[in-house]
Amino acid sequence: MTKSKKRKTMGSIQRRLIPSYIFLIIWCLFSVFPLYWMVTAATNTTVEVARGKVWFGLHAAENLKNLMAAQPLWRAMGNSFLYAIFQTIFCLFVCSLAGFGFELYADKAKDRLFAFLLLAMMIPGVATMIPLFVLISRLKLLNSVWGFILPQVATPFMIMMFRQNSRNFPPAILEAARLDGQTEIGIFFRQYLPIMRSTYAAAAVVTFMNAWNAYLWPKVVMLDNRAENMPMLIANLSNGYKVDYGMLMMGVLFCSLPTMIVFFVLQKQFAEGITGSVK
Amino acid sequence: MKKKTVSVLLASAMAASMLMPVSAIAGETEASTEAPTANVAGEDEHTLSVYAWDANFNIPALKAAEADYQKNVDPDFKLNVITQSGSSDVENAVTLAANAGDYSTLPDIVLFQDHYFQQFHTNYPDAWKDLSGAKDVDWDDFGAEKLSFSTIDDVHYGAPVDNGTAVMAYRTDLLKEAGYSIDDMTGCTWDKFIEVGKAVQEKTGKYLLCMDGSGNDLPYMMLQAEGESQFTDGEPTFAENDKYVQIISKLVEMADEKILYLADSWTDYTDQAIMGDMVAGVMNGNWIIPTIEQVADNSGKWEITSLPTLEGGEGYASNGGSSLYITANCSKPDLATDFLAKTFLAGSVETYDAALQNGGVITCSLKAGASDVYQKGVAFFNDQPIYTKIVEMGSKVKPVEQSDYHYQARNYVGTAIQNLVEAQDSSEDSVKAALSDAEEQLKFEMEG
Amino acid sequence: MRHSSLKAKQDRAGWLFLLPATIMILIMSFWPMLQALITSFKKGPSTRMVWADPWYNNYARILKDKIFQTAMGNTFFYLIIQVPIMLVLAMLLAQILNNRQLKCRGLFRTMVFLPCATSLVSYALIFKSLFATQGLVNKVLMNLHIINENINWLGKAGTAKFVIILALIWRWTGYNMVFFLAGLQTIDYQVYEAAKIDGASSWKTFWSITVPLLRPVIVMTTIMSINGTLQLFDESVNLTNGGPANSTITMSHYIYNMSFGQGVGKFGYASAMSFVVLILVAILAAISMKAGDKRD
Repeated sequence: MTKSKKRKTMGSIQRRLIPSYIFLIIWCLFSVFPLYWMVTAATNTTVEVARGKVWFGLHAAENLKNLMAAQPLWRAMGNSFLYAIFQTIFCLFVCSLAGFGFELYADKAKDRLFAFLLLAMMIPGVATMIPLFVLISRLKLLNSVWGFILPQVATPFMIMMFRQNSRNFPPAILEAARLDGQTEIGIFFRQYLPIMRSTYAAAAVVTFMNAWNAYLWPKVVMLDNRAENMPMLIANLSNGYKVDYGMLMMGVLFCSLPTMIVFFVLQKQFAEGITGSVK
Repeated sequence: MKKKTVSVLLASAMAASMLMPVSAIAGETEASTEAPTANVAGEDEHTLSVYAWDANFNIPALKAAEADYQKNVDPDFKLNVITQSGSSDVENAVTLAANAGDYSTLPDIVLFQDHYFQQFHTNYPDAWKDLSGAKDVDWDDFGAEKLSFSTIDDVHYGAPVDNGTAVMAYRTDLLKEAGYSIDDMTGCTWDKFIEVGKAVQEKTGKYLLCMDGSGNDLPYMMLQAEGESQFTDGEPTFAENDKYVQIISKLVEMADEKILYLADSWTDYTDQAIMGDMVAGVMNGNWIIPTIEQVADNSGKWEITSLPTLEGGEGYASNGGSSLYITANCSKPDLATDFLAKTFLAGSVETYDAALQNGGVITCSLKAGASDVYQKGVAFFNDQPIYTKIVEMGSKVKPVEQSDYHYQARNYVGTAIQNLVEAQDSSEDSVKAALSDAEEQLKFEMEG
Repeated sequence: MRHSSLKAKQDRAGWLFLLPATIMILIMSFWPMLQALITSFKKGPSTRMVWADPWYNNYARILKDKIFQTAMGNTFFYLIIQVPIMLVLAMLLAQILNNRQLKCRGLFRTMVFLPCATSLVSYALIFKSLFATQGLVNKVLMNLHIINENINWLGKAGTAKFVIILALIWRWTGYNMVFFLAGLQTIDYQVYEAAKIDGASSWKTFWSITVPLLRPVIVMTTIMSINGTLQLFDESVNLTNGGPANSTITMSHYIYNMSFGQGVGKFGYASAMSFVVLILVAILAAISMKAGDKRD
């Protein structure tokens, strides 16, 4: 009796959710379709792609072979991983340190500094590109991972995210650790870091994606082909008097997979970390 | 006290860790990214580095020259080709190096768009080395029009790679369906072209012409075929030039009548219009031929000829094309000059034959253009010997006044055309008004 | 005495934590910004620049520049049309996904977010192919007899703007949804239960409970979107190249064209335009922060 009633309410709840399901499914089709199309295109020939074939073809191996013959795929993948991982590590370290400092040692002066740093977000990247290039070039860091990451090591957005999340860090722990005789930096490494892991995960996802997808800046500082990253490789494939679309989409697929995998793996922590930043 | 010191030390060590070990770690972790700037230039005395773009076109030509020089001059010679995604990458590299006041980031040689060279030479004169050291070069062997881009005050800077001679290619089968032949089209007027275009659209549903709306190169070529320029004594003259007004009016009319397909981008132009079989005619620099050849089903159906003109008579023009230039950073100017002098500048048959066969790059050297490979008929073009024909047409292109603002002029005129097409208005007054608008905007840009 | 020295020590540590980030931002953002500001008062080729005459000449030029005005109009068009649509959709999706009775929430959430994982270069290529003249979208519409002739989507002003907005919505809705979802999860479920007992309709609950509680998130996503839209660049470059006839060009794209896109750059003028963008972003961000504060 109760069981059937429960089932009934369950059923009626699900029935009320039907519009939600319909909307969600339509939206998901919209958001996934272009990606599905990218995957199928990677298995078709260029003429089939240009004419809008939507089903899987048999040319995946051929496209991959052509891609590897035409472009140093693995080298670009390696570079992209190197840049993205280094940028993630350094950016997370520097920005979390600042977020920790801004929130847990907050005073008027620091708030003012924070507001000032936020200004850095508002200038179009194009405007600062030349002075930045000159700077990196003088430091002899062209074609190096450092030339890639230095401008992005400290971003106002990441500092803001860590600062917001640091509100969830219980001040009691700070006090207890101080009474314990731990140094301030010790507290950062031993207490703050482990407690804030989901924030780090969220920040890692965002930073990794941004670094992996960066195109304009690497195009400026990576003058040597040996230092090119995946978006640059794709751009090389797509510009020319003739373009092989199957091969190009295979490259796009390779370029998209790592960020998707990172997101899948860190999904849960990502959601938690973002939650912390909007509390 | 002790604790304080420790925390200060730790924190400052951390701050320092951000900046200091940067170079140290860089050396250890990644071989491929530690490349110092000097690596862009060639490593040893037999190696030259070069920036180039397009793996299917220019780069095979460079490889051909490398093989030629290896075989006939220096077996240890190596050409380190650094692929760029497009010509603008090379232009940006020069701009950035000039801004940094340090040309050491440039390679020994760059492939550079002809139309941009004068502008970059004017603004960054220190970035280039001239070719006065090149021995035994017969400059008269190259088309005067081509060399006009790379010669400044009678000093040669560029070694021509390709040839920008414009061709008008037609699908003879579709022309036939509409009741015409390619002979009807050779030397015809644009009015006749429009008449044929209407018939082709009606009978076959194809456009007779296409243009990349944002690249907008047809007006320039059509005007050059009339022997005129968009500029007079350095100033843009669009609306005052009656021929230009007529040309733009014809283009708008053709777009209106579905004779001209206005593509939204370069890829739309190549992949949809040409490879997607939407057109029965293509007019552009001959480097467009490899794109036409992509559609194997159409083999034997295409033929090429010269351009129509307003009054009738064969028109000759050129569009695009690039040359190799030695940069100020080149540490081996003798090797670089010798390499260019014995391959591209010598009109070397070995270089140009391989460049043609592997990349579809056509020479503008008359000598190289006389080789057997060039004389052969091309099956795709109904066994027409298109390559000699192109080299011959190239020698007939008249040099017209060039400007540093060539591409900007094209952009503004392109915008004018797009606006007129959107308004479906090809009347002389509207065209004139749109062109004076374009002219005004270009002048505004030029004064800034 | 001991207490105050301890406090001072902690205070110093606090500043030291900020030091690396502050130094990096000063060197990597503010130093170039300062240089750009100086450049904005100069003219001539970049290697031999001289002071503009009068010094504000580059800024005065902006007022006369028709293309910059077009670009500004386009950018604000995207801002006014795309940002509200995207934020409302993101909020709606978040609201739906926050329902605990919904099945497969994780799967749906992943699919909604997935577009943000694709790189800008890649997604521009994908959209360009889909909306090509003989591309898939036209093919489907033809087969459904909705159109009887292929549409040149990116070749006409109206449709090109539409494709850009669609692409932006595709790419960024999921991203914003994550922030809203996170915001919703901080709202105590009991608040809803209470509202339900009071007999409030779900629409009313949404407006009178959810939206006010989400205000900080709304302000944050709005500022992020305003900032992102006013600096919009990749879509304009990669999808339409600003065309046809500059009908889709954005301010950042035009600034780029002035400095890199077309031959030798006019860096003085480009820098001046950048500072106009900076001021616009700052003003709009300030307005949205104020608006967010007031609704208390």
